[in-house]
Amino acid sequence: MINIPFIKYTKVWIVISALTVITCIILFVTLGLKLGIDFTGGSLMELTFSKNVPNIEQMQKVLGDLHQKNAVVQKLGDNGYIIRTEFLNEDQHQFILSNLRAEFESSDNQIHEENFQTIGSAISTQLRERAIWAIVLVNLGIIIYVAYAFRGVSRPVASWKYGFLVIVALIHDIMLVVGIFALLGHFKGVEVDIGFVVALLTVLGYSVTDTIVVYDRIRENLTHHSAQNFAEMVNMGLNQTLMRSLNTTFITLLPLFALYFLGGSTVHNFALALIIGIASGAYSSVFIASPLLVLAQNWHFGKKA
Amino acid sequence: MAVRHQTKSISREQLKWRVFSIFLLTVFCLLLVFPIYANKGIDWVNKKANVGLPNFPASGFNLGLDLQGGAHLIYQANVESIPDSDRTASVEGVRDVIERRVRGGLGVSEPLVQTTKVNNDYRIIVELPGITDVNTAIKMIGETPILEFKEEDDKPLRPLTAEETKEMNDFNAKAQTKAQAALLAINGGMEFAAGVAEYSEEERSKANAGVLGLIDDSIFPEFYKWASDHADGEVSKELIKSFDGLNIIKRISVQDTEQQSASGTKKIYQIARIFIKVKQPIDIVPPAEQWKTTGLSGKQLKKTLVTQDSRTGQVQVSLQFGDEGTQMFADITKRSVGKPIAIFLDGSPISVPVVNEPILNGSAVISGSFSLQDAKLLSQRLNSGALPVPVDLISQQKVGATLGADSLAKSFKAGLAGLIAVIIFMILYYRLPGILAGVALVIYASVALAIFKLIGVTLTLSGIAGFILSIGVAVDANILVFERLKEELKSGKTLRSGMEEAFVRAWPSIRDSNVSALISCACLIWFGTGFVKGFAVTLAIGVLVSMFTAIIVTRTIMRLVLPWFKENGNWAFLGHQKKSVESQAK
Repeated sequence: MINIPFIKYTKVWIVISALTVITCIILFVTLGLKLGIDFTGGSLMELTFSKNVPNIEQMQKVLGDLHQKNAVVQKLGDNGYIIRTEFLNEDQHQFILSNLRAEFESSDNQIHEENFQTIGSAISTQLRERAIWAIVLVNLGIIIYVAYAFRGVSRPVASWKYGFLVIVALIHDIMLVVGIFALLGHFKGVEVDIGFVVALLTVLGYSVTDTIVVYDRIRENLTHHSAQNFAEMVNMGLNQTLMRSLNTTFITLLPLFALYFLGGSTVHNFALALIIGIASGAYSSVFIASPLLVLAQNWHFGKKA
Repeated sequence: MAVRHQTKSISREQLKWRVFSIFLLTVFCLLLVFPIYANKGIDWVNKKANVGLPNFPASGFNLGLDLQGGAHLIYQANVESIPDSDRTASVEGVRDVIERRVRGGLGVSEPLVQTTKVNNDYRIIVELPGITDVNTAIKMIGETPILEFKEEDDKPLRPLTAEETKEMNDFNAKAQTKAQAALLAINGGMEFAAGVAEYSEEERSKANAGVLGLIDDSIFPEFYKWASDHADGEVSKELIKSFDGLNIIKRISVQDTEQQSASGTKKIYQIARIFIKVKQPIDIVPPAEQWKTTGLSGKQLKKTLVTQDSRTGQVQVSLQFGDEGTQMFADITKRSVGKPIAIFLDGSPISVPVVNEPILNGSAVISGSFSLQDAKLLSQRLNSGALPVPVDLISQQKVGATLGADSLAKSFKAGLAGLIAVIIFMILYYRLPGILAGVALVIYASVALAIFKLIGVTLTLSGIAGFILSIGVAVDANILVFERLKEELKSGKTLRSGMEEAFVRAWPSIRDSNVSALISCACLIWFGTGFVKGFAVTLAIGVLVSMFTAIIVTRTIMRLVLPWFKENGNWAFLGHQKKSVESQAK
């Protein structure tokens, strides 16, 4: 039977994890997330050229001439561009499109508008508000559920502490995803959209799931072997659920990797956020949630003594 | 606990029935997902046995806009000017008008037009699947077709300059001289017809011996006044001014009309004239616009119809005005007999008929050069009427059909690759139970897809992502059970009791983890926008179905299969203990 002394190195894990979270928080605060048009309002135009693809300077010049100075032009694949601008009404949209056509289109070089989105400030404000509410609600729902699921367990650690530690692990996972996306946003221009929020909320669910499975096992061990040392029991639970955690995470990541590599650009970042978060969820349940449980118990007894 | 109760004593017979019904369910779901094969089979049976079995619905999945291409538009209604109590009703009215426009005008068969209220903002969400020309759609939805009736403008753009005034006066002085000469000639005994030929400057009447036609007091009140004091055949002895110039007129005949006036039956007169053109300021400086607004518009319409001209067969749009419109139209046509009026649609003239006689019954036709299609479209647009509340387009998302198809193919490929990778991993790692989990996973996928189809879940890209993610959830339950089984086998339990124990023990973890996933989904569904909802709905359905397949289906199959093996299992089961086989064997 596998028996890795996870709990023995509690301090190491806690320090590593705390550093990770602090780094991510610093990244988030200093760099911030690059918000997409879902949250800021604005327009996104995806164009492909059937034959001759103009270079970026040419595109920018045309847009500059149209007083779209803030337009950001990005290459998309081999034969296209993504153009981001401020909010465009339909007339402005058609105006830009017809000017680009006049400039670059010829009989054998067609411009196709594959995708166009324009989001006004009313909608982006609404999406922002809803996203925050959704995050708050998911958290509340999960805290209540965890408290309920562990209601019968109060010895040697009070049931609300399980709930609290589940949330600590969860904050770690969320911050890791947010920190990495802050980096990606800064260096690669990766934007954060609705899909990202959905990925975060899904990660919330997964992170909790992983932690719950470990805690469930510890709880079961507690009822069966009451005499043993608490730290040993936690370690035993961890080892018993280790293969499950690894396999489940791996199995969940397999289709996500497929989605990441094969699913096309639209779901690329969505899949990436899920991959980071779910992997982190497995990590945090073993290396954060469980060691902290032992620490919590130690403090409890320390106070009593 | 529910799971434990079920573990006791199920007869082999019952078990076989259960496996059989799971098999039937799977086949049914597969047929539902791939109806082509099912229907081929059913058709074959129908042909052979001549029984009228119904076919499976051949429809595909409900694809979202991001997969089939289309447009998603959000409009904001400007309701400031409307009292609070009427706002909901007027926004519903906007919804109805927009729906009529997209259904009728654009021919989108399954548009989704719905209203939402966010805080105090009223919005209308319009989804147009499969549409390619979004620009036209936006025009058609947002713009009221403005039908206007205009008459010729007679106000000059600006006052005349001194030079122009002189030019006009010189011209008119010459006209006066010419008219006097004509009057002298007629008074001197010249035939009226000869005078027309000699002097008249009006081509239309000149060709017809000066005959203007029947007049009443609306356009040529001066002629009418003169004619009513004189007899048929008389010619005026002096020049008579009309709005367009100087005239010598002749009363030809008189007719009674149906109209009554103060002095008995109103009469109209057949008049001929010798016309000498006099210039007005407007002849020198053209009016600001050729046409001026009459106030009559599409608002006063009661209904429109597509008709055909009985003589030429030309397609035309018949208009019927309401009471107010009928009165206005009568006034306009009275003013404009002999002159054109213009019918403007969205700011450009589509038909400029000349008014032959006043139209008093409030009906008119627009006879531009319409195709039947255009005429129908115009009629529909006019009938659907104006939006009760002005709307602004505040968000637009458009996906080209190619991109949609591409996304669909890619995500399908990703899903399939993920599914296969998961099954291979399960088999390699867990061996025989892994195979069973693979079977359960295939059953899971077909049941979930069948449910998507049955309850009409709209599959979006995010929805497929949710489904792909739920594969992991489905297998997680199996992994929890198999890990337990491994432990139970290691601790020396027999295959069957170990298996039952594993299911019972793994249940709380499975339940808790699924419930937390469902909590996330519930919040996401509430969150509500398209991307999020698609993801959350498929993930939630996936989680629920996976509870069924991973627990009930896998356990049933395992119960059937395990007795085929030795009590303590063999290499096909992870955690199998070689030594314990001997020590436990009795």
